[in-house]
Parts: sequence; structure tokens; C-alpha cells
Amino acid sequence: MSDQDPRIADGKRVLGVVPGIPATGAQKDPSDQDLVMTSPHLLVRHAVAALAVLLVVLVLSILFDAPLREVANPFETPNPEKAPWYFAALQELLALFHPVVAGVLVPTAIIGGLLALPYIDRNPAIATKARKVAVAAFTIFMVTWIVLTLIGFAFRGPNWSWVWPWEEWHGEL
Amino acid sequence: MKRLKLRDTTVGRSFLRSPDRATERDRAAGHWSNFLLHIYPVKVRRRELHFSFSWYLGVASAVLLASLVASGIYLMFFYLPSPSSAYGDMQTIQTQVAFGQFIRNVHRWSAHLMVLTVAAHMARVFYRGAYKAPREANWTIGVILLVLTLLLSFTGYLLPWDQLAFWAVTVGSSMADFVPFIGGSVREVLLGGDQVGSQTLLRFYVLHVVVLPVVLVGALAVHLWRWRKDSMFDQAAAEEGGEA
Repeated sequence: MSDQDPRIADGKRVLGVVPGIPATGAQKDPSDQDLVMTSPHLLVRHAVAALAVLLVVLVLSILFDAPLREVANPFETPNPEKAPWYFAALQELLALFHPVVAGVLVPTAIIGGLLALPYIDRNPAIATKARKVAVAAFTIFMVTWIVLTLIGFAFRGPNWSWVWPWEEWHGEL
Repeated sequence: MKRLKLRDTTVGRSFLRSPDRATERDRAAGHWSNFLLHIYPVKVRRRELHFSFSWYLGVASAVLLASLVASGIYLMFFYLPSPSSAYGDMQTIQTQVAFGQFIRNVHRWSAHLMVLTVAAHMARVFYRGAYKAPREANWTIGVILLVLTLLLSFTGYLLPWDQLAFWAVTVGSSMADFVPFIGGSVREVLLGGDQVGSQTLLRFYVLHVVVLPVVLVGALAVHLWRWRKDSMFDQAAAEEGGEA
């Protein structure tokens, strides 16, 4: 076996050892553009990501129970009357602008704009520096939307009046 | 002693149809012949492995969808979509069904998180410029998936039939009234009447457990298929000197 005869490695006879470094270089320098096998390189990462997500769900589900209020009663309107949190920005807009603007024009423009985004923005560049207008426009939209969502979700109380969430809590998940 | 491998047996070979994975070529062949792996490309660019590339938001959304389907099917066994029984069923689920409260929590939190991860996935794809040619169509399918996620969440919101559900859906659907000409009729079709009632509960239930999930999974299949097809396209190289 190999430990008895150094000229036999892994069951095969070594014919010769060549001095020097290979013509392609001593070590391959992996580049980000290189292709790697999905299995296992991407798969193990996806498995870890999946476990992390499930852990978050597990912990949230153990710590916080889903809400269940009194049975639905069409004759008793709660105050404030809140839409689900992901529509809180729309509800906030509804309080600020005419319903046709907030309830129709804005949602249509957002969904239409997002659907058509790749056909509007024909700039092929992907570096942020080379697409300042698109990045600025999208960032302004995102920040506005997040702020409106937070206001509608946590900063609005009875009759849609302004409240401080640390004084009165009216958010519903 | 040679280790006995499943894929060396007659049964193993017939099911797996993959050679012993000695070389990369064998591993690629094994990948191609695996049903579950066929949604993945055989190879990806190394940069796609980094957390900062995608923040794994797409796979997080898919995992949450799987969690929602699993917990949702469990809840369906104990729930009737009728105003006379829905709320009582919720109480039974929470107090008498084995793991009922926990499974309901899983469904609720997965739903909230999925809205967040899908939206964040969209933002990440935007900042990476990954919606540009040749991936325009897949971005558009992604926006449709976002809308479907919101509709699924909204239709599910009514099902507990408590005050929170009833009035949130009343507020949400009243927005349809402002659409000129067709708004009123759209709302009536959706609610099955002029206000939220037993017809609304049944319609939202059917949309929530059959129609929207089927449409979502179909659109998701196209989304992942397109992702695999476009995965070999190297945007940074195509742009010459651009950075990802």
C-alpha cells in the first residue's frame, strides 16, 4: 500500500513528479463571475435560509398569539376603523386627499408603474452611479410609502386623529 | 468494504437515474434527473451565493408560502365559512384542536412576514438592477405575485369573522366604491351584496383557499422557470465595466 511504497499513491503508480508551477498558475483565484454547482453550494445556503425563516416564524408563533376580537357585529363600528397594515398607507392617503385620488389614481399609478418599470427605465446600466434618477425616484417612493404605512398603522387613533403610539396603541396585526 | 449505496441497487437506479457522482459532469447529470432540483439551474455564478446579493428574500418568500399552505390545510379541517359557525370554529381551533392556536399563529405570522419578504425582494431586485433586459418579463410577473400575495392576505383577513376582520374588510373594500362607473359593481361582485355578509365570507374563502393559491403557484412556477432560464445571463459582463 501507499505507506509502504511512496511511489504508489491512492492505489496508482506515480510515474513522475514535475518540478515548478503549472502554466495556468499555482492557485486558481475564484472570481465572482465563475460558475459553481448549484448543488451543493446554493442549496445548502437556501436550506440554512429556510431554517432561519422557519425559526423566526416558530419564535413569533410561540411568543405572540394571533388576535381574535369579539364576534363580527355589523351594527357596532369600532373607532378607529382600520384596514390591514399593508393597506394603512392607502387609508392614510384617503384621509389626506380626495377619494378618487387616494383610492383610485394612486393605487393604479403604483401598480401600473411597477408593472411597466422595466419598459419605462430602458437604461441598461446596473451600477447605482449610472442610474441616479431611477434609484432616487424608487427610494423616494419607498420611503414615502413606509412612512405613510407607519403613520396609518401606529399613529392614528379614534376618528383618525393623531396619536403617539407610546401613549395610545391602535395598531392591529 | 464498499459502502452500499441506494443508487447502485436496481430500484435506486430506476428511481434516481443518476450516475455515481464522481465528476462534475456526473453531478450535473444527477441534478438534471432530479425532479425537485429541476427548478434550479445546474450552475450559478459565485456572486449569487453571497448573502448581500439577494438577502435570500426570494427563497424566504417561497418557504413562507410553503409554511402557509401546510398550516392553512390544517386549519381548513376545522373551519366552515359561514357567519353562524366561523367565529365558533376559530374559538374551537384555539381551545380544543391539537396545536390549533399554534398552527393559527404560524399561519398569521407567516402571512405578515410573506408580505414583508415579497416587498423587500422586489426592492432588492430593483436596487440590483435585476429587472433589466432580458429579465423585464420576470419583474412584471413578480409584481403580479406581489399583488396576489396582498389579495391572499386580504381575503384571509376576513375569515376569523371577528370585529377586526369584519371592519378591516369593510374599510378595504369600500375603496372600490371610488372607482368611477364600475366601482360599485366591482364591490358588489366581490362582496356578493352591498355590505360584508355571508356571501362575502363564502366568496373570500373560495378565493383564499382555491382560486388565489392556484393562480399564485402557477405564476410562481413561471417566475422560477424564467429565473432559471435567465440565470446564465451575466449582466455585469454584458454591460462591460458595470458593477453589480
